[in-house]
Amino acid sequence: MDQVTLRIPAEPAYVQVIRLIAAGLASRLKLTLEDIDDLRIAVDELATYLVGLHGREGTLEVHFMLHDDRIEIQGRGDFAEGAKVRTDLTELSRIILETVADSASLQAIDGAPGFALTKKRPSEVGLS
Amino acid sequence: MTSRVILGKEEVREIFLAYGQAADEKERSQLRERLVEQYMGLVEFLARRFRNRGEPLEDLVQVGTIGLLKAIDRFDLDREVEFSTYATPTIVGELKRHFRDKGWAVRVPRRLQELHLALTEVVGTLGQELGRSPTVAEIAKAAGTDEESVLEGLEVAQAYNSTSLDAPVDTEDGGSSSFADLLGVQDEQLENLEYRASLAPELAKLPERERTILYLRFYRGLTQSEIAVRLGISQMHVSRLLNRTLMRLREAFEEE
Repeated sequence: MDQVTLRIPAEPAYVQVIRLIAAGLASRLKLTLEDIDDLRIAVDELATYLVGLHGREGTLEVHFMLHDDRIEIQGRGDFAEGAKVRTDLTELSRIILETVADSASLQAIDGAPGFALTKKRPSEVGLS
Repeated sequence: MTSRVILGKEEVREIFLAYGQAADEKERSQLRERLVEQYMGLVEFLARRFRNRGEPLEDLVQVGTIGLLKAIDRFDLDREVEFSTYATPTIVGELKRHFRDKGWAVRVPRRLQELHLALTEVVGTLGQELGRSPTVAEIAKAAGTDEESVLEGLEVAQAYNSTSLDAPVDTEDGGSSSFADLLGVQDEQLENLEYRASLAPELAKLPERERTILYLRFYRGLTQSEIAVRLGISQMHVSRLLNRTLMRLREAFEEE
């Protein structure tokens, strides 16, 4: 398993960086374009919960874990005290994430708000 | 289609001379027609170079013909250049302007526009060949570039406020289909209470096509490619619309 760690300011503009790295790593995993797009949507969806639309004081630490057949992404917010972070997904988010990810959830990581996400490479894509 | 008689240099020159000296509008227009006919092949040749941008070739030929007419009017025999040499930049200019007017925002750098166009084409072709969505490596190979450029090109599609990127491929769908038309039949799931309850307020504000795409992707589980076929647009266009729609919805939720 290869691991990549990223720490970004908790600003929406930096969510793109998570998305880019996720896409780059997914490409190493030989995911198809549509799966990569799904992954990006999932990253956007979950990261937006943590960072919010207008950003927060603090940082977001993201771990990418590249397995043979899947990529796992975990985000953990390191925010200033009193940051109001939703801890439950909206109905729409849940439906979206069910479609685009193999598993996705908001969850506390070491007591801080976080998310976890897994995207597998579909087995029928046995590419050289 | 009229049969095309290719005239020699001297004959063309004579027509241009006569055109310049035509006594009345009727004669002028007859001569103009002969010249247009003569150079239609050139217009078609040039229009074909733009055909992978999502516009029907016939439309492009028409646009190119406007350029040809302008060139005919402005051509000066004293210039001692071949008319085709003279007309080519005018025709190409007209075609380029057509795409520009269709909404390519100036803000998207040309290099990225071109990369994006190239990728859209490659993705479409590969998708058909493979019967599935291609991988980044496959796209890079087919496009003669590296994976990093492909990833960059894909990100560009999302990063730029994509009305500009949508415009050139937009006409593929020919417009005029209602939500129900696109679905084929009124789907009973549309009446699904959960669907309505969770989405109704935000959904109502979305353009119909965006709403359709959202519904097909997340409630019917169609892939982007399947939706693309259904709506007659490219998969990458579906991807952009989808990403943009989700961004809008996120904003709507935040504002609650």
